[in-house]
Amino acid sequence: MKNRSYSALKVLVLCFLVVSVLLPLLSLFTHMTFEDMQKVVANDGFSTMLINSVSLTLASTLISVLLAFVLAWMINRSHIRYKAMFSLLFTLPMLIPSISHGMGLVLLFGDNGLFTNWTGINLHIYGAVGIILGSVLYSFPVAFLMLTDIFKYEDYTIYESAEVLGLSKWQQFTQITLSNLKRPLVSVVFAVFTMIFTDYGVPLVVGGKVTTLPVYMYREVVGLLNYSKGAVIGVVLLLPAFIAFILDLKNNTTVSNSTVVKPYQVSVNKKRDTLCYIVCILVVSCVCLPILTFMFLSVVKQYPNDLSFSLDNIIEAMQLGVDNYLLNSLAIAMCTALLGTCISYLTAYMTARSKRTFSTMVLHLISMLSLAIPGIVLGLSYVLFFKGSLIYGTLAILIVVNTIHFFASPYLLAYNSLTQFNANFEDVAQSLGISKLRMLKDVYLPSTMDTIVEMYSYMFVNSMMTISAVSFLASFKNMPLALLIPQFDSQSLIEATAFISIVILAVNVILKVLIYLIKKYVIAKEYH
Amino acid sequence: MEVLNKKVEVKELFKQMDGKTILDHISFDVYEGEFLSVLGPSGCGKTTLLRILIGLDHQNSGEIYLDGREISKMPSSQREMGIVFQNYALFPNMTVLENVEYALKIKKETAKTAREIARKTLVQIGMEDQLNKKPSQLSGGQQQRVAIARTLALNPKVILLDEPISALDVTNREIMKKELKEIQRKFKATMIYITHDQEEAFFLSDRIMVMSEGTIEQIDVPTEIYQHPANQYIQEFVVDHLNQKYASLCKCTGRAYEE
Repeated sequence: MKNRSYSALKVLVLCFLVVSVLLPLLSLFTHMTFEDMQKVVANDGFSTMLINSVSLTLASTLISVLLAFVLAWMINRSHIRYKAMFSLLFTLPMLIPSISHGMGLVLLFGDNGLFTNWTGINLHIYGAVGIILGSVLYSFPVAFLMLTDIFKYEDYTIYESAEVLGLSKWQQFTQITLSNLKRPLVSVVFAVFTMIFTDYGVPLVVGGKVTTLPVYMYREVVGLLNYSKGAVIGVVLLLPAFIAFILDLKNNTTVSNSTVVKPYQVSVNKKRDTLCYIVCILVVSCVCLPILTFMFLSVVKQYPNDLSFSLDNIIEAMQLGVDNYLLNSLAIAMCTALLGTCISYLTAYMTARSKRTFSTMVLHLISMLSLAIPGIVLGLSYVLFFKGSLIYGTLAILIVVNTIHFFASPYLLAYNSLTQFNANFEDVAQSLGISKLRMLKDVYLPSTMDTIVEMYSYMFVNSMMTISAVSFLASFKNMPLALLIPQFDSQSLIEATAFISIVILAVNVILKVLIYLIKKYVIAKEYH
Repeated sequence: MEVLNKKVEVKELFKQMDGKTILDHISFDVYEGEFLSVLGPSGCGKTTLLRILIGLDHQNSGEIYLDGREISKMPSSQREMGIVFQNYALFPNMTVLENVEYALKIKKETAKTAREIARKTLVQIGMEDQLNKKPSQLSGGQQQRVAIARTLALNPKVILLDEPISALDVTNREIMKKELKEIQRKFKATMIYITHDQEEAFFLSDRIMVMSEGTIEQIDVPTEIYQHPANQYIQEFVVDHLNQKYASLCKCTGRAYEE
C-alpha cells in the first residue's frame, strides 16, 4: 500500500511526543530525592504556602467562574447591542502575561499607584486581595469563552416545553439551564483552578508577604538553582492538575453531542438589558483600566513627579534590549505556532481519521496529558531532562517546550473538526487508492483552513505572553520578552514593565486582526 | 434465452467478529449486467458482505472471483469495483465536477481526459447545470447522483450500493429509485444493491438475495420469491410484509384487494 510514508510519519510523531512529554516528566520524578521531600515538607512555611495556594485559588476560581457565568449569560441571553465587541474586550486579558495583571494592580492600587496617589486611599493590594483580583482578571476570560460555547448550543425546544408545562423563569433557570451546565461547569472549574493554582506571575508581584507554592518553586529554582527541591514542589503542583485531568477525562467521555433543534429565543426585557449594559461596561472598564495605565505610564516623563509626555521610558526600555527580546519572542511565537500547528494537526488527523488502535490511543492520551502538566512543572522537567543537550540554552528548546505546553487545545480543535467529516471518506479513499497523506493534502487541509489558522493564532498568542514553561529554560541569550517583566520588576523598572505589556498586547492584537482578515478575505473566498 | 456470464462468484465466505459469526459460509453468483439486491434486516451481515466484496473488510475464509479471476486478497483499489454510500461521501472542498475528476486523476487519467469523462458522465446523469457547485449547495438526491457519477466515471466492473437512497425523503426516494433503474439500463452496469426495504428490492432487482443472521435464506427472481417463498422466514419477512402493506393501502383508498 502507498501508506508507508504515513506510517513513518506516525512513528516520528509518536517519538517526538514521547521525548518531549513522557521522558521529561519521568525525569522530574526520578530527580526527587527522599531527603528533599522531607526538607520541603518539614519546612515551616510549607504548610502555610500550601494552605495559601489552595485557599486563594479556590476563592479566585469561585469568583472567576461566577463572573464568567454572569457575563456569558448576559451576552447570550439578552438583547444588548455590541455583543461581539463586549466579548472581544472581555477576552483582552488573555493577550497579556499573567504577571502583567499583577503589575497592573500594583501600578493602580499599589503604595505609589495611580489610584492611590489620586484619591489618597490605599487599598493595601499586596497579599490575598491582590492575588485574588489578579487571578480573576487573568482567568475569567478563559471561563467566559468555555461557558459561552455551552450557552450558545443550548436547545430551545426544552424551554418551550417547560413554558407549556407552566414552569416559571426561575424554575427554568435552575432546573434546565443549571442542570444542563452541571457537567461542563465541572470542566470549567477544573481548567480555571489549575490555571490559577500553578501561576506564579500574579502572586510574585502582588503577593507581598503571602507566598504561594508556584512562587516558592520559582524562587527555589530561579534564585537558588535548587532543582531537586523544585521537582518536589513541581510534583505537588502537578497533583491537582492530574486529578482534574483524570476526572475530566471521565466527565467528558459521557457527554453526548446533542444537536440543537432550535437556538435559544431571548425574550424582551428592558430592565434585564439595562442591567446587562451596566455590568458589561463595568467589567470592560476593569479590564481596560490596567491596559490604559500601561499606556499612560509608558509615555509620561517620570511618574509621579513629572506627568508630561515623553518617549524617555520607551527609549530607555529599548536601550535595555527590549527590541532584541521582542525579536526572540517573535521568533519563538512564530516557530512554536508553526511547529505546534503542524504536529497537533497531524496527531489529530491520526487519531480522528483512523481506526482506533493501540498507537492512536497512546497518541490521544499523550496529547491530552499535556493539558495536565502545569507550565512551570513542564519547564522544570525540561531543565532536568535536556540539560547538557544540544538544544539546551537555544531558542529551539523554548519552542519545543511551548509547543508541548500549548499542545492540547489546538489538538482538540483539530480533532473535533476532523471527526465531523463523513465517516466513509476513508472507505472511498481506500477503494479509489488515495493514500492517507494525499487525503490529508487534497481533502482535509483545504476543508479545515479555518481551524488551522485558529490553531496557529492560539499557539502564537500564548507563546507571546507565556512566562511559565519558559521561565527556567530561558537564559540571557534566548529570553523571550515577557520574562523581562519579572526581571525589570525586581529592578524597580516599573515604567519599562508597563511598556513591555503594551508591546506584547500590541503584537497579539495585530496578529488577531491579521488572522481575522485572512479568515474573512482569503479563506472565505478560496475555500467556501 | 441468452447464456448468462458469471461476473462475480462468491464461495464459502466466512466472517467472524469478536467471536460472533457475521457471515456463515455463504456462496452465490452475480451475473453480468444484473441488478442483484441483498435484502435483510439490520445486523444480518449484508453491509459486512459488501465491505468484504470491495476489500474494505477481510473475510476469515472463502474466495471471491471477478470475471473468473480471484480477487479475495487484492487491495480494494485494484478490485475494479466501485462503491456508493448512503451518506454520499463527497469531498466538501471540491465542486461537483472536481469530485468526479479527482477520482479519475487518482486512477492516472490525464487532466484533459479526466475532465472530459467527468463532464460526460455528469451530463448523462442529469447534473450538467450543477457542475461548479459545492456538495453543500446540493440536495441529498443531487449529491447521491454525483456520488454515483463518481463511481460510474471509473467504469468499474461491478458497482456496489450501500442503501444509497435511504437517507432521502419519500418523494426523492421514489424519483431516485426510477433513476437508478434508468442508470443501470443506460450504463449496462452490474450492480449489487444493499437494502432493508422489501419494496425497493422488488421494484429494482433482477434477482433478490434475502439474508438473515449471516446466511442466505433465498436467492431468486422477485416473482419466484413472492410466489414460492423458500421457508417461513421469507414468508413473514417478505411475502406477508408486502401483502399487509398492499392490503392496508387498499383499505385506505377503498380499492378492492385481491388475494
